[in-house]
Amino acid sequence: MTKKIITDDHPSSFVGLIDVVAGRKNVDPELARRLESVRELLVAPKTHDGPFLTVLVRTQGRRLEPLKDALLCLAGQTVQDFEVILLEHNAEREAAREVRTIVERLEPEFGSRVRILEVKGGTRSKPLNAGVHEARGRYIAIYDDDDLVFANWVEQFLATAGTDGDRLARAVVANQKVVPEVWPQGQAGFRTGSWPNAEYPKSFDLLQHMLVNYSPFMSWAFPRALFFTYGMRFDENLTVAEDWDVILRGSLLLGVDDVPALTAIYRRWEGGESSYTSHDTESWRASEQAVIDRINEHVIMMPPESFNAMRRMVLYNTALDSYRFFFDGTSLRRPFNWAWDAVRPGFRVAVRVRNRIRRMRAG
Amino acid sequence: MADARTLAVQSVLYGNSAEDIERAARALANSVRWARADGLISDWTLQLGDCSPAAVFTDETLAPLREVVEAQGGTLGYTVFGANLGSAAGHNALAPLSSTQLMLILNPDAQVAPDTITALARVVTGDVGLAESRQVPLEHPKYFEPGTGATSWASTACAMTVREGFDTVGGFDSATFFLYCDDVDYSWQLRLHGYRVVFEPAAAVFHDKRLTITGDWPAGAAEIYYSAEAAILLAHKYSRPDIVKSLVARYTKDGSEAVLKAVAEYRRRKAAGELPTPVDPDHKVAEFVKDNYAVHRF
Repeated sequence: MTKKIITDDHPSSFVGLIDVVAGRKNVDPELARRLESVRELLVAPKTHDGPFLTVLVRTQGRRLEPLKDALLCLAGQTVQDFEVILLEHNAEREAAREVRTIVERLEPEFGSRVRILEVKGGTRSKPLNAGVHEARGRYIAIYDDDDLVFANWVEQFLATAGTDGDRLARAVVANQKVVPEVWPQGQAGFRTGSWPNAEYPKSFDLLQHMLVNYSPFMSWAFPRALFFTYGMRFDENLTVAEDWDVILRGSLLLGVDDVPALTAIYRRWEGGESSYTSHDTESWRASEQAVIDRINEHVIMMPPESFNAMRRMVLYNTALDSYRFFFDGTSLRRPFNWAWDAVRPGFRVAVRVRNRIRRMRAG
Repeated sequence: MADARTLAVQSVLYGNSAEDIERAARALANSVRWARADGLISDWTLQLGDCSPAAVFTDETLAPLREVVEAQGGTLGYTVFGANLGSAAGHNALAPLSSTQLMLILNPDAQVAPDTITALARVVTGDVGLAESRQVPLEHPKYFEPGTGATSWASTACAMTVREGFDTVGGFDSATFFLYCDDVDYSWQLRLHGYRVVFEPAAAVFHDKRLTITGDWPAGAAEIYYSAEAAILLAHKYSRPDIVKSLVARYTKDGSEAVLKAVAEYRRRKAAGELPTPVDPDHKVAEFVKDNYAVHRF
């Protein structure tokens, strides 16, 4: 028998686990007392004199016009309770000079909340950790220099994160194609090539995210506690997928609140440099495997409803075992792809019908 | 480098918050500051025309705004119209209040980037009569020619025009267009008079537009009505009776209140002899592509 003693409306996953253990009727009173003191430490209102949000903007100074857009979007936020740390990572001298000029030209009130942090060497994680170290915000959001946010990006994070939560907040982001193009006055610009496509899931599903990251960086506001209470940092050994790593580990530890709004645009470059083009397939594979391995080697906490979701997966997995040869090894599967695409809907229905019959027989 | 020119920035207010206007004015003053430093702008003024039911500013709340403008060598004008004139008539009413060489038509809550005024002033030269800024975060999908920026029409959410051109075409056609398509018509009028209209991507402006969670445009009833009305009137004005007929038929079939109201208004104007005299009979400038007034990139 368990007794639910959750007093916080939005407990993190870790606090939730403490509640489960400490709330058991026959738990050792000494253990319960100590767990309760840990809980108090974690949920106690923290005095904080910084802004609501620290926005970390990574730049190498290679995309100056998109960087100007990124800063303009921040200047246009309906809630201005944030600071900006421009993480200038491995910028060449001329690029660094250009970045400084851009910041110097900002409107003074907004510009006073933007500071440049120069970071040399390391992977894409290194500037992020440097930014986290300097961050004064209760939440930390990360925004690359070529992306866009709507006017309610900060406002929606604030509305969802509230004042006492230590969970991650996750908003919906759209994709938009852009192609590099020299503009009429000679700037290295771009041409937007599509309407923003809201193709990512509208709400966070941890199990789906274990397969692939469906949430670009600026979808997220990470609570300060993730870094300063629980000690998480970006993995500087990863060349890519550093976002996926912290999103997964952070959401497993603290849980996620959905922001019910589309608040940002991820620019997908065609014909230009991006993290997809500047890192080879092997680099991606190795980084993703490292993310998976670390999580796999540790105990993890899953959010409520995960148990049923995993049961369904196991059920389907068992049902599919007879047909596994179809899926093991893409070379065998490839000639049958067209046929599989055609029969897949019918196959799904057939499996469901069969399972229902089995359940009826078992009942 | 071209000689510095004078600039009037015009914004028509309707129920905006004073804080939003002040923030936009700070961004504007900063952008003008750099254009002045670059030797492109000399004297300038910000002219606000207030169409709100109750004036947005009092003398007290206007003071900090004036300080912001004057700190960058500008002057501030604030005119309370006492009636909702609409954007076209509002800008026409503001235009005679200054006599600058350049005019920037600006949405009151739009925030320009630091180098927007510089980029626009550089491109509005020669036969360029109107230059449009690139809206962020939602960019307008109109096609523009690589290299020149030439485009069919310019949105006046943030666009710089030459006063000579404005005066030549008689400003905006406020008798025909209340809220939508006044800028399409103004662009086409300029082009009929030999000016070029360009899109200047280096001139960015933040315009607070948002999408639904599914990525769709959340059009309200007023937007549907005014844009439907403007679509019929624009087709009529630019000698496309075939499109007028097609729109009226489609809206009638659609049957929603907003578009039926637009059809009714068109018929009322027609019966009352209030429709504009058709122009561009050879279709030299007007482009009607599906429901758009230019080829769209997406």
